[in-house]
Amino acid sequence: MKKIRVLIAKPGLDGHDRGALVISQALRDAGMEVIYTGLRQSPQQIVQAAVQEDVDVIGLSSLSGAHNVLFPQVLDNLHTAGAEDILVFGGGVIPKEDIAVLEDKGVDKIFTPGTPTSVISAFIERAVRQKRDSGEADVLTPPAGIDHIGLAVKSIEEAADFYQRHFHVTAGETFSVPEQGVNVAFIPLGNARLELIEPLDEQSSIHRFIEKRGEGLHHVALAVSGIEARLLQLQKEGVRLIDEKPRRGAEGDEIAFLHPAAAFGTLIELVDDEEPAAETGERADGYVRKNQ
Amino acid sequence: MDNFTAHYEKWQERVREEMKKKPERKEQFAASSEIEINRLYVPKNFDSAYMEKLGFPGEYPFTRGIRPTMYRGQLWTMRQYAGFGSAAETNQRFQYLLAEGQTGLSVAFDLPTQIGYDSDDPMALGEVGKVGVAIDSLADMELLFDEIELDQVSTSMTINAPAAVLLAMYLTVAEKQGASLERVRGTIQNDILKEYIARGTYIYPPKPSMRLITDIFSYCADEAPSFNTISISGYHIREAGSTAVQELAFTLANARAYIQSAVDAGLNVDEFAPRVAFFFNGHNNFFEEAAKFRAARRMWAKMMRDEFGAVNPKSQQLRFHTQVAGSTLTAQQPENNVVRVALQAMAAVLGGTQSLHTNAMDEALSLPTERSARIALRTQQILAYETGAADTVDPLGGSYFIESLTDELEEKAYEYLDKIEELGGAVQAVEQMYMQREIQRAAYHTQKKIESGEEIVVGVNAFQQNDEPAPDLLQIDESFVSAQHERLRELKQSRNALEVKHALKAVNEAARSNENLMYPIKEAVKVYATVGEIANELRDVFGEY
Repeated sequence: MKKIRVLIAKPGLDGHDRGALVISQALRDAGMEVIYTGLRQSPQQIVQAAVQEDVDVIGLSSLSGAHNVLFPQVLDNLHTAGAEDILVFGGGVIPKEDIAVLEDKGVDKIFTPGTPTSVISAFIERAVRQKRDSGEADVLTPPAGIDHIGLAVKSIEEAADFYQRHFHVTAGETFSVPEQGVNVAFIPLGNARLELIEPLDEQSSIHRFIEKRGEGLHHVALAVSGIEARLLQLQKEGVRLIDEKPRRGAEGDEIAFLHPAAAFGTLIELVDDEEPAAETGERADGYVRKNQ
Repeated sequence: MDNFTAHYEKWQERVREEMKKKPERKEQFAASSEIEINRLYVPKNFDSAYMEKLGFPGEYPFTRGIRPTMYRGQLWTMRQYAGFGSAAETNQRFQYLLAEGQTGLSVAFDLPTQIGYDSDDPMALGEVGKVGVAIDSLADMELLFDEIELDQVSTSMTINAPAAVLLAMYLTVAEKQGASLERVRGTIQNDILKEYIARGTYIYPPKPSMRLITDIFSYCADEAPSFNTISISGYHIREAGSTAVQELAFTLANARAYIQSAVDAGLNVDEFAPRVAFFFNGHNNFFEEAAKFRAARRMWAKMMRDEFGAVNPKSQQLRFHTQVAGSTLTAQQPENNVVRVALQAMAAVLGGTQSLHTNAMDEALSLPTERSARIALRTQQILAYETGAADTVDPLGGSYFIESLTDELEEKAYEYLDKIEELGGAVQAVEQMYMQREIQRAAYHTQKKIESGEEIVVGVNAFQQNDEPAPDLLQIDESFVSAQHERLRELKQSRNALEVKHALKAVNEAARSNENLMYPIKEAVKVYATVGEIANELRDVFGEY
């Protein structure tokens, strides 16, 4: 069996890491590969490290009473990253009534103070073996559908007018995406949408696209969950990517492009439309709303 | 022989002096059988080894205690660490503890405060008010000590990286109450080296952190001479899993580094060293613990006199607070913890502690309830008033076992101290993770012994009990977090923004120069700059570790 990989993490500001260090050492002695994050890790950082390090298990330790807030956030981030197959266990100063709540929310196991490390390593071994036997760890859920189809046009106004007059569908507001050198507008259409893309200037890649190939179909965007894990998976499978890490799209979602050469000449975009964890109201990504 | 008789005479003179200032608690101390209990028991025949190793209490090397009459004159300070939620809530707990006979305050701050984040900082998520009280600005500090006269109590504050800020707030509240700073007594922990080693609430890199500490030494020597400027802590080193010897050695290695750093900055050792205090752990092994405190006193006296040339006896006296070991509390059968705590506390009393915190039985599960906090305090009162342990000075002194243990602990601690010197001192040893690795090794060793059953933990790996009833635990009202955010928002709107801006700029500029940072920090505190704002100015200059 492949060695079990474990991430031991200290979420929050708690500096007591005796337990975390002892567990790390004990699991190493039990033949596992253990990565310890060090102190003061945010749930995002912990999940990022877990995905990057391709671990089977995350162990969370908190003695400051912040477990009710921070442990569920680790679970949420795992969900967002599409990495729910990673087992999560925890320990520290955690009252009995909180244990039930945390385990209900999806923490696989909370160990109370005084648990022998041999009990913890046996738990991990059994749980990981079960997961591996069922084989679900390596298969990600298929895309939920088509998020949108991207159409390169010289003028959004003229193209939108065409769809309005002949199909009676209305384009939404136009967004400006200066760093891509484009304006975009979406036309809702059943389960999917059309994205009209016009160049802002002659440097724009859309301008070059239209010069070279004329107006028309530019890309197909698939709606997926767990974009980060999926990109890692695609990389492992040898699929050429334009974006190895997700970036923000016109609507603030996390997106990434595959290389057209990888998908038989079609430019494929992945869109992760899970709600971002914190909605601040103001867009931090610099996109400007044009029509308001 | 006459030489020793002369010494004894001298000591008795010292006792008479002391009793003029501080009469003993009773005219006469007696056991139940009407046996009179003497102040001090000494060997029939003094020899030079006795004088060198033990001496008399209140005299170099202070092995038998730092005062000639010890607890016969004054009991240790009963100082329970407390704090949770809002300043107003913690103020209530303080008033309760004082009403129940506690004699000093000890403030627990929440982790955001300890790491220099305001309550509304994203880094503070989930931690606000959890392990202590949330303090964002002077306004919170004013609420925390509302109706508590700061020239009447002594207050210990467990604060390290932002110690300068919280000290400035405390002194400002005292001034506003009309107290004279000369008379304001208390302690800030201010021991950053053990944060890197064991406790984790550091902000800045070691070198600028050491400078902050030296600035505080110098400031207090001039402005707040009754305030203990540092509490050099073995407590957390032990909690992280060290042995008693490691606790002793690493604490003294850190102490040496602080003294050296202040001396290097041009301070006179006898001016600041009398305000240096210590903080040790009271652990399970009863006699080893009692011996540890005695060894610590002897080692410190020697280091200060022979290495740093301190001549003021107060510079040579190791004064310490003890907290019993939180890590020995078990979640299983929590009532057993009351017994553990009592025995650990007894060892600290027999070791001559100046103040004591006894843990509550439910602390392996959560913060203490009012009931469990009361039982913890009552435990100390029982030790003080019922056991007779406070009726004679250094009751264990002269025991073959105790003296031998004291010597051996000292010897082994010196081996570590030598090793740390070889590495270039405590700061370098910390940066090289030397102490961290040694502690981790010891912690793992202990864990293995518990799992193999070589070491018994009652109720955990032996004498277990099924179907334990769930104890009542303290519930913190989470709604206070949004109230705290609101308070902070209102404060930022109502204070004079321009004054705050100037004051913060002055802090930033002082950090870039050699100026003592305490002065501009105190000015910033006065205009209600927040803990986070001031810490950020220093982050800007010093960087983060």
